[in-house]
Parts: sequence; C-alpha cells; structure tokens
Amino acid sequence: MLEARLQDGVVLKKVLDALKDLINEANFDCNETGLSLQAMDNAHVALVSLLIKAESFDPFRCDRSLSLGISLTSLSKILKCSGPSDVLTLKASDQIDTLHIMFEGKDSERVSEFDLKLMDIDSEHLGIPDTEYDVCVNMCSLEFQRICRDLSVLGESVTIECSKESIKFSANGDIGSGAIQIKQGATIDEKKELTTTINVNTPVLATYSLKYLVNFTKATGLSDVVNLSISNELPIVVEYKVSELGYIRYFLAPKIGDDEE
Amino acid sequence: MGIKDLTKLIRAHAPDAIKENLIKNYFGRKIAIDASMSIYQFLIAVRQTEGKQLTDDSGETTSHLMGTFYRTIRMVENGIKPVYVFDGKPPTLKSGELEKRKGRREENEASLKEAVEEGNLENQEKFEKRTVKATKEHNDECRRLLKLMGIPFIIAPCEAEAQCAALARAGKVYASGSEDMDTLCFSTPILLRKLTFSEAKKEPIMEIYLDKVLEGLGVTMDEFIDLCILLGCDYCDSIKGIGPHRAFNLIKEHKSIEKVLINLDKKKHPVSEDWPFAEARELFRKPEILEDDNIDIKWTDPDEEGVVDFLVKEKNFNEERVRKGVQKLKKNRKTVVQGRLDGFFTTAPKDSTSESEKPLKLGKRKTEDKKGGVKKKVDTKKSGSKGKPRR
Repeated sequence: MLEARLQDGVVLKKVLDALKDLINEANFDCNETGLSLQAMDNAHVALVSLLIKAESFDPFRCDRSLSLGISLTSLSKILKCSGPSDVLTLKASDQIDTLHIMFEGKDSERVSEFDLKLMDIDSEHLGIPDTEYDVCVNMCSLEFQRICRDLSVLGESVTIECSKESIKFSANGDIGSGAIQIKQGATIDEKKELTTTINVNTPVLATYSLKYLVNFTKATGLSDVVNLSISNELPIVVEYKVSELGYIRYFLAPKIGDDEE
Repeated sequence: MGIKDLTKLIRAHAPDAIKENLIKNYFGRKIAIDASMSIYQFLIAVRQTEGKQLTDDSGETTSHLMGTFYRTIRMVENGIKPVYVFDGKPPTLKSGELEKRKGRREENEASLKEAVEEGNLENQEKFEKRTVKATKEHNDECRRLLKLMGIPFIIAPCEAEAQCAALARAGKVYASGSEDMDTLCFSTPILLRKLTFSEAKKEPIMEIYLDKVLEGLGVTMDEFIDLCILLGCDYCDSIKGIGPHRAFNLIKEHKSIEKVLINLDKKKHPVSEDWPFAEARELFRKPEILEDDNIDIKWTDPDEEGVVDFLVKEKNFNEERVRKGVQKLKKNRKTVVQGRLDGFFTTAPKDSTSESEKPLKLGKRKTEDKKGGVKKKVDTKKSGSKGKPRR
C-alpha cells in the first residue's frame, strides 16, 4: 500500500519532463524512505537515478516495498492534466495493477482522478560505487543549460577541461569551434548570494556527448544549481536537487579515443 | 541451413533470451560476420525491381559486391566494427547436406528452364532465386573489396560460424553475426541475426543470448547440442517422426541422444545404424578453428582509388555513390567512440534482498503491452527493450 501526497504537485511534473525523453518506461521503487527510480537508456550510455524522499511528501505512507512499472510517457501525459498549484496524491495498493493519481485544486474546488495501468518491466539495476571525483562543480543550472545548447550548434561532443578555479567547455565541428569558460565565484543567484564553486583535486579533461547533456538539462526547472562531478575516465554525474531533500542524478559515459589503431 | 525450429523453441521456452535492438545501439561493438551467409543473402536479396540480379557490362553478377559495400558501410556508419569470416573447406559430414542442396538446385534449374520456356515470369523469378549459389569468384571478389575498404576478414579453416563463435568466446568481438542458428551450437555467447538486412526493411536486430537460452530451456550446453542434432542440423539427418516439441521433451527426460535412442520405439522411429550423431556432436563441440593468438584483426583506412578502380571501372558502379560511400568509411575512422556505462558500473545481482524484503511487483499488462511495444519500436526508432512478461 502506497499513499503519498505532494503539496507542490508540479515537482513531479517537472521530474517527469526530466526523465521521459531519456527513458520510456521504468520501475518506481517505493519504500519507507521515499520514491526512487534507476534506469538506463537503450544504448546503455546514460543512467538516471531519482530519489524523492518521504519527507517531501505529507503524508507519506508505504508499509511494504512496492515496485511500480510505469510508462513514463503515459504518466507524463496524465500529469499534464494537472494545474500549476494542484496538490497531488499517488495511491497504489498491493492487489490492484494501477496507479491512482489525484489532483486537488486550491480549496479542493476541483478534484480530478486518474488511474494509470502499470506494466511489467524487466530492468537491470546497476551498482554505482561511491567514488571521490577529481572535480566537483556547483554552478547555475540555467547557465549550464545554455552552454550545452550553444555548443551543440557546433558539434556533437563537448570537451570539459577543469583546472584550478575555472571550468571550460569547448566544442569542435564542421563550421568551426567554440569555448565557454566559467570562473569560480560566478554569480548563480544574487538574492540568495549563491556563487559558483569549483573544487579540484586533480585537473580533468574529458569528452561527452552533447545530445545527452542537452537531454539532462531538461531538469533545469527543478533547481537553480546543478552539480557536476567529473573524473578522468569515469562517467560524469550531473545532479539536480528535487524539492530540497531528493535528487535526480544523471550518469553519462565519456567518449573515448580509439585505443588500438 | 541451421537448426530446424530452434527459434520457435527458444521463443516458447526462453523468451528472455531473445532481445530486439536497433542497429544504432551497437556503436563501438566489434562483430564477427559470417561472410558466406551474407554473400548468399546479398545474391538473393539485392536485386533490381524486375527481380533480376545486378550485373556489370559483361553480364557478371554484382549483387554480392553491392551488398557487401553498402551494408558494410551502413554498419560502419552506425559505429559497428565488422570483421568478416569466410568459410574454409566444408566438413566431411556436411557432404550429405551439400549433396542434397546440389540435388535441389539441379531440380530448380530444370524447373527454371521450364519456366523460361513457358514464359512464366513469376516462376522464373522464384526458381532463379533458388538456383543461386555463392561461387568461389563471388567470395574472392568480396574479399578483394573488403581489403580495399579497410575491413578485416578471416578465412576460417572450416565452418565460418564456428570461427565467429570462437572469436566471440575469446572476447575478440562482442557477438557473432549470422542468420544460421547453429552458431549457437558452436557456443557463441551472443548471436545477432538480421544484422545485414537492408535498412529499408526497418527490421530490428535480433540478439540471442546463449546463457539465457540454456537457462530458459533448462539444459546444459551438451544437452543443447544434442537437442539441436535431434531438431535437425546440417551434419546429419534428424530422426523421422520427431518434431521440435518431442525432441525437447526427449532431451529433458533422457539428457543425451544415446539414452534417447535406448528408450525410443525403433519401430515407430527408425534410426539408421550408422547415424553419425556422435560425429556431428564432436563437430559442434570441437570445431576446426584458428586459435585466437594467430588472428590479427585490424581496421585500416580505405583505399579510395582502389575501390573506385574496382567497383567503377571494372564493375560499372556509379562513381559518385561509391566515392560518397568511401567518404563515410573514412569519416567513421576518425570519430571518437561513445563509452558505455556497462564498462564502469556492474549489474547488481537481481533480487539480492531476502525474500521477505523483496519489493512486491505490480503490473500485469503483458499481452497488450507486448503488441504495442513491438509496433512502437519500429515507429519511433527509439526504444530497445520494451516491457516484457516476467518469468
């Protein structure tokens, strides 16, 4: 039995927007700590890991672990039917193979209810080791989105170079090349006095697919800050906070030069 | 060709062993391709609209070159690194099968003649396709072309499938590409079918995992080989009156052909005294292959002028198209390869939690979803593995 009420229902809508272009369907795992999801894209290049903590919901009840196989495309369609300030409630029971979704407008004047059929999805779960990354960057999420978008005009991949106190994104293509550099301390949000932080253990130089990164930035609406964890020869982690306590993390395998020829 | 009804049997008992995937998801993979099989396919499939084979000025067939050239480029464009494997001498046991094929071809040639005399175009095309044979010249020409294209190839000492399987097993390549299901009997860990199909067909690639086949069927590798022999392979006849279902049950019950024979009603199912099943089994278990230390697989830059000389000057291909194709090969030599997460993270063991903590799985849309899933796959070109019924 699962019952979860999300005061700020629009968060789930944003989460779905951030997921649905990367994966079509996935299992939502529900237990007493909250809702989580892990899935890879078909090519096994990117992985997304989502956690919405139980504390984000009020109330949250899940007395038995549940795995809900959900078509993200379909769920996203249903969530589009909600208003911007609706309160959202998710319900699933052990016997029924549907997910019940309810939107309540302000003062409960309008209540809409949907039932989404669940699916049986066979998925692989990857074990992600806890690693210390060479570089950790906190920067403005809108800025990151813009960089990825701008550079994708030039080429298919971006090279990220990070050394003391600055991160440089560059791309090469048929029409030319481009580079964007962000320095430590660059403003993220003036009112909140948030600034860019760059922590470097070891300088990195790595190349990633822009198509995927642009896809990840669909989560920009969830958080002002994006956190990039980069190591040489490891997948990059792009993390956005979800309603303060949870997160959506994207892992992307780097592009590697051909080793043998 | 291949093993009779094996695909059906796998679909029925080990549905998890077969996955469908799109060609673009194979980027960066090295794949050993059964060349003899592909050439034969090209000779049959690559044709003009009237069903005639493509030919050059002197009337020599060029379908095999057309196929090898463009379908290889299609793979390379998708980031696949193909290595072709050619048949060596056929194993002696196959002579029976080859003799039969020859007989059939002669029959078909006779029928073709008849059809030509009658002017029956439909039959003409049908029998023409059935008389197709990949000759030594076809093979030699393809090798010459591959060499110019910078694509490596290996000449197997014996059966090409066996060599493909050996390469895959040794980890030299990711999978074997062949239509022939007996590649599984040579224990390739992964078999890819429909790899060299034309793009226009929009067919996804069929990926078959040997370990899941064995797990699903509930047999060991040796039992699997025996099962395939019972189903009917290229090396010896199957037993009269024993179909796929019966063969599967017999192996499940008795574990080996020897024991099946002891328990079989010989009156209903006559088995010849010198039925060479044991030899066939040996061929599958220990095929004649090149050891992997002696194999050097290297992809090199294509020789543009060489390809043009061969295909355009000798074989009357369109120069512009050929050059464009070579450019594609060159371009793909340079691009960096996208890594895969599998290389960094390992799959966590399934159901590691104890039974009581195991999450309850909800969701029963099996049949509907499957139908929708397959269709959608072709339409959107996006999905790879769709929701499937759980074991």
